Amino acid sequence: MEGQEKKSNKDEYLNFLAKEKEIADRIIDHSRSMISIINRNYIYEKVNSTFCNAHKVITASIVGKTLGEVWGQEIFQNIIKNNIDLCFTGKTIRYEAVFNTPKSGRRFFEVTFRPIADENGEITHLFAETFDINDLKLSEKAASEKEEEFRKLETNLPIGFLRCDREGKIIHANNAFLTIMELQAENLVPDLNMKNFYPDERFFDMQFNNLLECQSKSFGRISLKNGKGREVPCRISGFPAIDEKGVPAFIDFIVEDSSREMMLENRLLQAQKLETIGALAGGIAHDFNNILATISGYSEMLQDDLPRYSPSSEKVSKIQGAVLKAQSIINQILTFSRQVEQEKIPVDVSEVLKETIGFVKSAFPPKIAIRSRIRKRKANVLADPTQLFRVFLNLMTNAMQALEEDEGTISVRLDVVEGKRIQHEINKDIVADEYVLLTFEDTGKGMEPSLMGRIFEPFFTTREVGKGTGLGLSVVHGIISEMDGEILVSSRKEKGSVFYVYLPVSKEYADFEATIGGKKKILFIKGNKHESRIFSLALENSGYELMYISDQKNLEIVMSDIKDRPDLIIYMNDSKHIRPENLIGLFRKLEINTPCIFITDPNQEIFEEKILNSGIVKQHLLKPVSLKEISNAIQISLK
Amino acid sequence: MAGILIVEDDKELREMLKISLTRRNHTVFETGNGREAITHFRAGVTDLVVTDLIMPEEDGLKVIIKLRELKPSIKIIAISGGGKAGPGSYLNLARALGADAIFSKPFSTNDLIAKIEELLSGEQVK
Repeated sequence: MEGQEKKSNKDEYLNFLAKEKEIADRIIDHSRSMISIINRNYIYEKVNSTFCNAHKVITASIVGKTLGEVWGQEIFQNIIKNNIDLCFTGKTIRYEAVFNTPKSGRRFFEVTFRPIADENGEITHLFAETFDINDLKLSEKAASEKEEEFRKLETNLPIGFLRCDREGKIIHANNAFLTIMELQAENLVPDLNMKNFYPDERFFDMQFNNLLECQSKSFGRISLKNGKGREVPCRISGFPAIDEKGVPAFIDFIVEDSSREMMLENRLLQAQKLETIGALAGGIAHDFNNILATISGYSEMLQDDLPRYSPSSEKVSKIQGAVLKAQSIINQILTFSRQVEQEKIPVDVSEVLKETIGFVKSAFPPKIAIRSRIRKRKANVLADPTQLFRVFLNLMTNAMQALEEDEGTISVRLDVVEGKRIQHEINKDIVADEYVLLTFEDTGKGMEPSLMGRIFEPFFTTREVGKGTGLGLSVVHGIISEMDGEILVSSRKEKGSVFYVYLPVSKEYADFEATIGGKKKILFIKGNKHESRIFSLALENSGYELMYISDQKNLEIVMSDIKDRPDLIIYMNDSKHIRPENLIGLFRKLEINTPCIFITDPNQEIFEEKILNSGIVKQHLLKPVSLKEISNAIQISLK
Repeated sequence: MAGILIVEDDKELREMLKISLTRRNHTVFETGNGREAITHFRAGVTDLVVTDLIMPEEDGLKVIIKLRELKPSIKIIAISGGGKAGPGSYLNLARALGADAIFSKPFSTNDLIAKIEELLSGEQVK
């Protein structure tokens, strides 16, 4: 009875154990991990059914096999073996690896090895649990890719982004913000406050308080002080990042650099201003031309009434001289306001530039170095060569005047650039595939930015009253605009100024019909050889036969030849070897009456009235003379 | 000696032209606006017209068109001193509309008279 009881207790216990084992086995079998027991010889002693399923085999075909046989020798040696050896030293090992299982292919697993010791404490086996973490890995990877993408976007965005704490201290700023503020990453010290960039801290506090009250706000354009102490106009918006309690945990700012926008706005404003002044000046010029026509008409009548060479006649000549000067100023105003029609022909800019440089080299003080780099041999634009000469001469003269104590360097460059490349640089529509870009750079005293905005206005001058009319650059602006070109300037105080002139390249070549000239012979009595060359560039294609003479002897030879005498003489007053009185003397001696056009400089008073009144001067033009004026004068004189 | 009509809104300039042409023994008619030039035009006695282009009421271009209609053989000289659209382009337009000569203000009166007499003597070769 007692024995039976004992037996039944033992059975019960065994039953209990068996049940417990069954439950434990079931738990192990149903685990989502591959579970196994491995001995010191790297042989599987036990595996669960998840393990078998993954390998699509039954338990018996795994138990007794080595890990190398199950996973492949290479994977065993490279990935598994070390970890197992480590585990046999008594450590629990956890690692991640990719394994290939017959059931699911290549997947990510997390492997845990736990040492199992026997009753003597010696580690004889290890417990391996291999858990499929592939899905987890994939979503982790996707999340980190998303984050990376966002980070890249935030980094590369041309808009400054920064996050501040509730005190305004900058927690994070992207690259664009650093670039706008001209900062380096190391400038972002922990205590850096957004407030530091504001010129007025109270203004910042006011804005910041708004944001702390949970209102997003666009603050418009504010000038921030950048890392180099310069002011940068920025468009700023703020957004409170509100946490679950409804309080802004951070304040985010978006900072956009609006310097370019401002610059374009300013330029537009300048252009509009010039346009308005131009219209106004044009209207005034119109009235003045009527007045001048009246004055000049009456003085011509007076001149006819008065005996030639009488003192009164000379006084009338002075009135006429003054009219001519007034006319020249009005002409400049009209050129600025683009109300003078320019006669344009295809002309090689490099040639005009070279002549201008030659002219300038002979006229400027010797300590001024003039460097030129002409990249393109032939660059045709549609222009009046005399006007182009005027533009270049003016810019170089200005450069010379900007140099202190007549010392320094003027650099001139000619390049050809693609139209589409300069789309963002110039404020006009691109009208040609290519543009000539002329750069005039000096090492002079430079300009204040406030001055720079006004230099193209007529009568604006920084020189003392009486020195220069203040029309030079406005005329330059007018001529270039009339050519669909653009002039821009950049300048730094004490460093110098650079003028950029863009002119559209013309595909037309100088072979249009030369009918105006009708093969009439024009004798050109040269003044400065470079300036004369400009005039001949202008007239070469008009169908006139041009001859050039610069000395008295040759002049006499040409004029004595009755058969081949020129139909017209153009005389430039700075001809060194032929004086006006020599010319008049020759005319009297040979008893000839060839019409003459005199081109004189309004600033040089060497021209005597008696020469103008001698009767041989058919037309008297004052420099600067345009192609249009000279062709008109030629046509009138040849009638 | 011919009949010349001057259409010019600037009184001083008009008078100056009148005097200088009268001195050359021409008969000069004058008016300060284009509308009057058209309504009072006397084809029988007018051989040549000197007209300004920018004027109140009717402008010079209209004068050129109208007078050409009224008297196809009339000689026309346009003068202009610049306005919003530029003297060059206005004058060129005048030329296109049939002006025989164009002068940009301020011009030499002697050149203008020479041109007038050339046109009147019929030597003008177009």
